[in-house]
Amino acid sequence: MSDTPLHQLVEELPSSSITTRLLGLLDYAVPGEWKNITSFEEMVKDVTGEDDSDLIQQVGERAIALYNDPENGYQRAVWLYQTLDDTQGIAGIAALANKLSGDFDFLDFLDEVTPKADNAQAVDAGVKLIGELTAFCLVNGLPGDSIGDFASAFANAQKEDAMRLAAFLAFDCVIPLGPDFLIKLNDTIGGLTDGLLSENGRFSKIVSFLPVPDLASSKKMISDNFDATKGVLERFSVERGLEQNTLFAKVRTVLGNVDDKLDYVAAGLDLVSNHFEHTGIQSVARRVISRAYGEI
Amino acid sequence: MKRTLLLAAALGLVAGLSACKKDEPSRWETSATATLSAAATPKIEGSKLNAFFPADNTDGHTRVFSQEKDGFVEAKLKKDGADVATLSISDASGDDAVKSKFEKSTDKVGDYPLVTVGKNQSAVLVNGKFQVKVSSPTLDPDARKAWLGKFDLAGLAKL
Repeated sequence: MSDTPLHQLVEELPSSSITTRLLGLLDYAVPGEWKNITSFEEMVKDVTGEDDSDLIQQVGERAIALYNDPENGYQRAVWLYQTLDDTQGIAGIAALANKLSGDFDFLDFLDEVTPKADNAQAVDAGVKLIGELTAFCLVNGLPGDSIGDFASAFANAQKEDAMRLAAFLAFDCVIPLGPDFLIKLNDTIGGLTDGLLSENGRFSKIVSFLPVPDLASSKKMISDNFDATKGVLERFSVERGLEQNTLFAKVRTVLGNVDDKLDYVAAGLDLVSNHFEHTGIQSVARRVISRAYGEI
Repeated sequence: MKRTLLLAAALGLVAGLSACKKDEPSRWETSATATLSAAATPKIEGSKLNAFFPADNTDGHTRVFSQEKDGFVEAKLKKDGADVATLSISDASGDDAVKSKFEKSTDKVGDYPLVTVGKNQSAVLVNGKFQVKVSSPTLDPDARKAWLGKFDLAGLAKL
């Protein structure tokens, strides 16, 4: 679990990387919602609108202290976001070591990528969705019907949350699964087997952090969560113009002339983009700072 | 000669300054491992505080709860989908540093001391225990004070 202090997590985020360039492509879908804030002080100013240096210091210090207490759940949320993007053991490809560097060659990298079958991709999307739900509950805490509250918060997502939702839909759903991604997700998640779930590398990493005791409950959680959020996912992707061809054309401007190897690009994107971790850290920082500002 | 010396001194100063900048610890470094003291860590369950917020649809505004943690609950106040203010109640019972700012209060909401914090926040302290805040970059102090009056402060005082 991440014990890196909150300010350091924010300040270690890249100001430019493949992830930030890919996220930048999605501004058309969530216009103006996401700014790539990589300075903790800037984040405090953005959340509070304050400019007094002493007050900013006070808010920032309390936010760091709140984050440092593991009981508050913020560290686990960051760990979850990091793990959803963690490709170690999933790809094991040496070329990924430099995926954050500016001269990373995606075309060369594609030669080493194996496209995923649709059902494996759909399980991955389902697992990322419950990872997001669990992180959301850890950060915000939620009364009563947490899945219903999550769905409604999802529908009203703003700033980094809106960008993460757009990136999830674009890179984890629409590009790999196509325009009927919801049907594919529905079929796979509806018929989810223990085998399919336990073979999923991401699931095995995050399972101990899920608020459920066993595999059967995890399957139910994935399925309930999908049922509660699929309407939001559909509306968001349609209203925001997240179409496979549009997205693929945009992605080519960042990754190079990848021809029409859509399967390869989808699998490659999954490996090179850290959209959960990057925007997740920014979301957690925003929430903790907002709480600190309310408490000081 | 003198000019050369001056130039050398100036260059040395510049080099010294940049070295200083490079080595200067971040303003957050000293608190990197700090946690709140046990006394300042609030204990009351967040869900017990929800009932004292202004009701949803008060004066045409929607109220959406956004965080509920032990000792802290926050809600967004919105109008026509746009954020108007952030409302919060926190349990400050063991946090003397937080409560001390109310000693300088010169105004009240009901029976409770009112202060402003920075340029965007107004706060009252209820029963020496709960801090209620309205934060907004668009509402002025009078408007924030009016929203503080829409909380059930008397009910909160009995908690």
